[in-house]
Amino acid sequence: MKKTQRFVIIGASAAGSSAAETLRRYDPTAQITVVSDEKITYSKPLLSYYLAGKLGEEQLFFRAPDFYERLGIERIHARAVGLLPEKSTVELSDGQKLKYDKLLLATGAAPRFPKVEGIHRDGVFGLRKLEDAQGILTRLPKTKRAVVLGGGLVGLKAAEALKERGVDVTVLIDSPHALSQMLDESSARIFERIFEQNGVTIRTKAKPVAVLGTKEKIEGVQIASGEVFPCDLVVVGKGVDPSLELLEGTQIRKDYGVCVDDYLRTSVENIYAAGDVAQARDVLRGEPWINALWPCAVEQGRVAALNMLNKETIYRGSMRMNSVQFFGVPVISAGLAVLTPGPLGGHPGEHDETLEAQPVPGIYRKIFLKDETIVGFVLVGDVEAAGVLRILMERRVTIAPVKDELLELGPDLGRVLPLIIENKERFVEREFQELVHTVGV
Amino acid sequence: MERLFCDPRRCVGCRACEIACAVEHTPSKDLFVSVLNRELGPPRRRVQTVGAQPYRVAIGGVVLSLGCHHCDPAPCVDACITGAMHKEDGQTVCDTDKCVGCWMCVMRCPYGAITPKVKAIKCDLCPDRREKVGRSRYACVEACPTEALFAGTFEEFQRVLAEPVTAVWEGRQ
Repeated sequence: MKKTQRFVIIGASAAGSSAAETLRRYDPTAQITVVSDEKITYSKPLLSYYLAGKLGEEQLFFRAPDFYERLGIERIHARAVGLLPEKSTVELSDGQKLKYDKLLLATGAAPRFPKVEGIHRDGVFGLRKLEDAQGILTRLPKTKRAVVLGGGLVGLKAAEALKERGVDVTVLIDSPHALSQMLDESSARIFERIFEQNGVTIRTKAKPVAVLGTKEKIEGVQIASGEVFPCDLVVVGKGVDPSLELLEGTQIRKDYGVCVDDYLRTSVENIYAAGDVAQARDVLRGEPWINALWPCAVEQGRVAALNMLNKETIYRGSMRMNSVQFFGVPVISAGLAVLTPGPLGGHPGEHDETLEAQPVPGIYRKIFLKDETIVGFVLVGDVEAAGVLRILMERRVTIAPVKDELLELGPDLGRVLPLIIENKERFVEREFQELVHTVGV
Repeated sequence: MERLFCDPRRCVGCRACEIACAVEHTPSKDLFVSVLNRELGPPRRRVQTVGAQPYRVAIGGVVLSLGCHHCDPAPCVDACITGAMHKEDGQTVCDTDKCVGCWMCVMRCPYGAITPKVKAIKCDLCPDRREKVGRSRYACVEACPTEALFAGTFEEFQRVLAEPVTAVWEGRQ
């Protein structure tokens, strides 16, 4: 008789849940345990919607609340505090010791707080966990003015949410423009204007040096020039760093995150990693990277689980991309060419040609090319063609024959289908193969 | 699982499938009433010309009607931050009550098969026609005058593609 496999997953967010679901789908009898220091499983990207009052707490579940129970998966509410690979054991904060046959590290990431005076005062929040959002909401009745540190996606979503709650918001950004890890300068300016039009103050090249106040009360944020922005609340949205505490004392190789191979295996046998903690293949950079993004985490969770089940599956790699809406205006960007070197020394990609169009006010499209292949794009206002552009970029297809029409591209895959047929060996998915076969008749 | 396919040899690009799809997803399900009541949303499949200019000549002006492929695994389901986009008996379905319009699915779908219009709008395989059988099971298939649209497995569709194109009236005798 086949021995019952014991799978342990540390982390119950995107990667952890997706892995648990996959393990159960293919192994109905395995013993699956998910460990999380959070009581409930909810969607972190929805926290800004919750903060804005657009969603209630019960709407933050991305899986039914009884998801684990129904799948016969044990979910332990505790923190994993120790990892002993030689004993195949994980130690939990409640004293339990869990034995595993295969372990998945899906510990995620934690907000990066700038090392400035007063940053740990009461009233300074990240926006990563439900308790952060709840903490901010508790303070809201006493909050007239808020300062957001960081002009990235999380910072700006927090600023939008607070503004919608009637708070005066100032966003302080180190970089020369907002969204520097997502957009090029001219695209970013569009959104800086949208925030200003909606009454949010944006200050670029503003480096915070201190959070001022007393023990009980925040008074303001001081920037390098000496200027002080008075406020009652501070939200930090300056990116996240992978949570690597569990690796201490182990031989698991790490760089910025946990190093994994193309099967999402760490350097230590029977231990895998997925999600915001895993530094995995990046299809654009040519070196492993963390693209801390929901869709990547879910896919990695599934691929890691398949490999834990000995169903050998290669992880094709992620790439930098994001989709977000601010004050009703959507934007999708992908690729490296759109980046500006940020405070962390971002890795902008090279391009030798830029296609740009503003067909009607409110819609802006920009595509960056290098050697006639797409290396980045930004779509503002109308994002419908994003997926098609993204797959052409990911599969490194030469777009020369359709270049003149690329900016007009609606959601029509048809126009670029000949490119896919010509490069059909790069489009291995069953659905693409069916399409190629159909048109090839 | 049964999915929808389009035979490019039969498709003449009339866009009847687009209209039928848009009408099917209105409260009245009637073309003229839905126009009057301004109920029409975007169609969930679209007639597309294969190829940009240089290709149109080469491939001979192929047109075909494309929509969601109900992929497995589905990139849009992976991408969804709310759990709105999910698999149900092999189908890819969006629970629009849960959709918040983040467009992660639009970014991930390589077929351009999701329309971002307040909610993520995509082919739902006509849930209101579950009781119907034959070509009237799906609004687009029923509306297709040249019977280019086909409902079935890909293996069944391959057998259709292997056959020569017969005139529609021949098939109806």
